[in-house]
Amino acid sequence: MTDSSSDTVRRDLAALLPRLRRFGRTLAARREDADDLVQIAVERALLRADQWQPGTRLDSWMFRIMQNAWIDEARARERRSQTFVAEEEGERVGVSTTDAQIDAIAVRKAVAQLSEDQRAVVGLVLVDGLAYKEAADVLGVPIGTLTSRLARAREALQAILSDPEGAR
Amino acid sequence: MTWSDETLMAFADGELADPACGDVERAIAADAALRERVAALRRQRARLAAAFAPVLDEPMPPRLAELLRAAEPPKVVQLDARRVARERPRVLPTSWARWGGMAAALLLGVLLGTQPERGGPEIGPRDARLVAEGPIGDALSSQLASAPVAGAPVAVQLSFVDKSGRYCRTFSTSALAGVACRRDGQWDLQTLAAADPASATGLRQAASTLPRAVLDAVDRSIAGPALDAAGERQARDAGWHR
Repeated sequence: MTDSSSDTVRRDLAALLPRLRRFGRTLAARREDADDLVQIAVERALLRADQWQPGTRLDSWMFRIMQNAWIDEARARERRSQTFVAEEEGERVGVSTTDAQIDAIAVRKAVAQLSEDQRAVVGLVLVDGLAYKEAADVLGVPIGTLTSRLARAREALQAILSDPEGAR
Repeated sequence: MTWSDETLMAFADGELADPACGDVERAIAADAALRERVAALRRQRARLAAAFAPVLDEPMPPRLAELLRAAEPPKVVQLDARRVARERPRVLPTSWARWGGMAAALLLGVLLGTQPERGGPEIGPRDARLVAEGPIGDALSSQLASAPVAGAPVAVQLSFVDKSGRYCRTFSTSALAGVACRRDGQWDLQTLAAADPASATGLRQAASTLPRAVLDAVDRSIAGPALDAAGERQARDAGWHR
């Protein structure tokens, strides 16, 4: 690994950070957990910068590292994070909260109720806008699996969000 | 003909190839219910994207920005790293208040033990405060994070104003890293931790070698964004007075 290629990765990663944080938030409902995940992924990426092939997509590579790190992490903490969602999001609702913000909170809570697999496809396709093929590559699954996972996730979201109890 | 959810979803997402795509187009032109199913899928997608879009504009936490700061003269710690043991006990998040004198004495021992040739203690008690002096104090007062000095024994990474309005800076040596804040013309140590052993690998840049405890301390105490190069220079030239 030459210094210049490592510098390139570093610079490109810096530009990707906001998207990585956003993907992290679809996986982990709490901001701190999501940022932990980004930090772990960036540290891993820097250590393995020589494994990244210039010319391939750095974003897909990073999403994959994040997803793998999250699986490790999620196993370790046994989905503990879900129980914190309500408190944390609740704190941010203030007098100046707009309808859009209220809806965003409902949507994020709905996403938090999905399975790990479903959250990842939602984050990659619906939130980040990756093509099905790209998302399937990130997750290492066939495109048919990706499609059916996404369809089930969307059904589940629809059910949660149209149920007033589920969405609050 | 009935359309599966997956086909309609792929169509709504622009993922359906011809001829299926043309088939669905013709079908929805003739079927209002089908059209509504596709519209609902697109609304849902837009709603999801909108719910997470604000994350892109959230201020970047210093600990993340710090990880990727420009790869300026990296290996400031390497010379020293060769001299000191590769592994040393890791000090986890702490504040001096909780530490007590014994732990402080231990840390002083670590510091003095690893850099005897630099002369003079770098950190000493002053009226029950722990302040950085010697090379660390000098570096904090004079060095600019925006203009790192290659080979310097002390690296300064980040300058910021804390919630009580003081200038604070992070620093690291081969053995230690910490946060110090300016008070009464001296650098009060807020947090001190053992340097990240990973720094000894030379793979990471000096700026990213700050231990987690230090970055967390910054996250907790910082008010607003970190100083940029101009702000930092200005603060230094004003003697870190606010």
